[in-house]
Amino acid sequence: MKKAVFTLALILILCSFKTETNTGIPSGEKLIFVGSYNMSGLMTQLAQVTLSTEMVNTSKNSYLHLNCELATYAKWDKFFKIRDSYESYVDPTTLKPSLYKRSIDEGGWTKKEKYTFKGNSVTSTSKRKNSPETTKTFSVGGSTQDVVSLMYKLRTMAIDKMKTGQSQSFVAVFDEKQIPVTVKLLGTEMVTAGNLGSKNCYKLSIGAKTDVLKGKDKNLIYLTADEKKVPVLMKFSIPVGTGQLALTSASGI
Amino acid sequence: MRKTLLIIAIVLTIVSIIFSVLPLDTLALAPIGLALLFIFLAFKKSDVTQRKLTKILFIVTYICALVVLGKTFLIKDKVAVDTKFEQQKVESKKEDIKDLEGLE
Repeated sequence: MKKAVFTLALILILCSFKTETNTGIPSGEKLIFVGSYNMSGLMTQLAQVTLSTEMVNTSKNSYLHLNCELATYAKWDKFFKIRDSYESYVDPTTLKPSLYKRSIDEGGWTKKEKYTFKGNSVTSTSKRKNSPETTKTFSVGGSTQDVVSLMYKLRTMAIDKMKTGQSQSFVAVFDEKQIPVTVKLLGTEMVTAGNLGSKNCYKLSIGAKTDVLKGKDKNLIYLTADEKKVPVLMKFSIPVGTGQLALTSASGI
Repeated sequence: MRKTLLIIAIVLTIVSIIFSVLPLDTLALAPIGLALLFIFLAFKKSDVTQRKLTKILFIVTYICALVVLGKTFLIKDKVAVDTKFEQQKVESKKEDIKDLEGLE
């Protein structure tokens, strides 16, 4: 009983902190996915992926902190422990990034990247395990996103006005360079969306000029076909195989 | 023929046991399925007096299947609490705010 009261109180407190940004991406949103990887034809659950948002204030500005964390389940940690995090601090209104960070720890192999956006210039620092830190400065366009903010930017697209087969182009920075990204609407499908139940979703194909993603229309993202456009399923095809992220829990949406 | 089928069945049963013990989820059902198939074939090729080993293999593989299904449906996957990772996140956030203030 105590637990129930505590949980209810906690939910109410969290709801009171929730603030809607102009983009429609709320602060305090938390989406939990189960990450599965295709092993010999069977999807095997490997990790939990958490997407969360929160407002962060500095002395002068407010930023929306977009956080994406990947952690392997405890049973896998002894064999291959992964603790990855991808973070972006963006303008709450435009989702324009100011700071993007990537921290990778995969079975002891580590890599840390930091990108600072100032005007049309990006300064990136990268540090791999047992390698010296490298710094690079390069120019980007005014609408260039990082990969995390791009994922949220997709949710602000007017997908309802797009026709099936229609594409929209974006530019993202990844691995210290700009890559064009194309998002194509493939239609709508009913998808099981964790605690949200079964939802009618927009099926989007992500195409990027990078070696990281493989195949045509094999990298898919399903967003609920409503004003929240919550990502509920992501299917990916990478050089070492295929996998998917399926939503199990959504809160603060 | 019986001998070959029996050897394959034994090898697949051993692989099934290993896969069932390791956290390989439903992936372990692949060798279990194959083991059951070869055990069945070996059983069919055996005389009534030679079926003891195939029966034992069947019981072992059946238990492996139960263990895998039990782990899949009864044990919930959890992420271990990683205090080092959590501490890093707190420190990283402080650093991020400094970086953002530096950009303003």
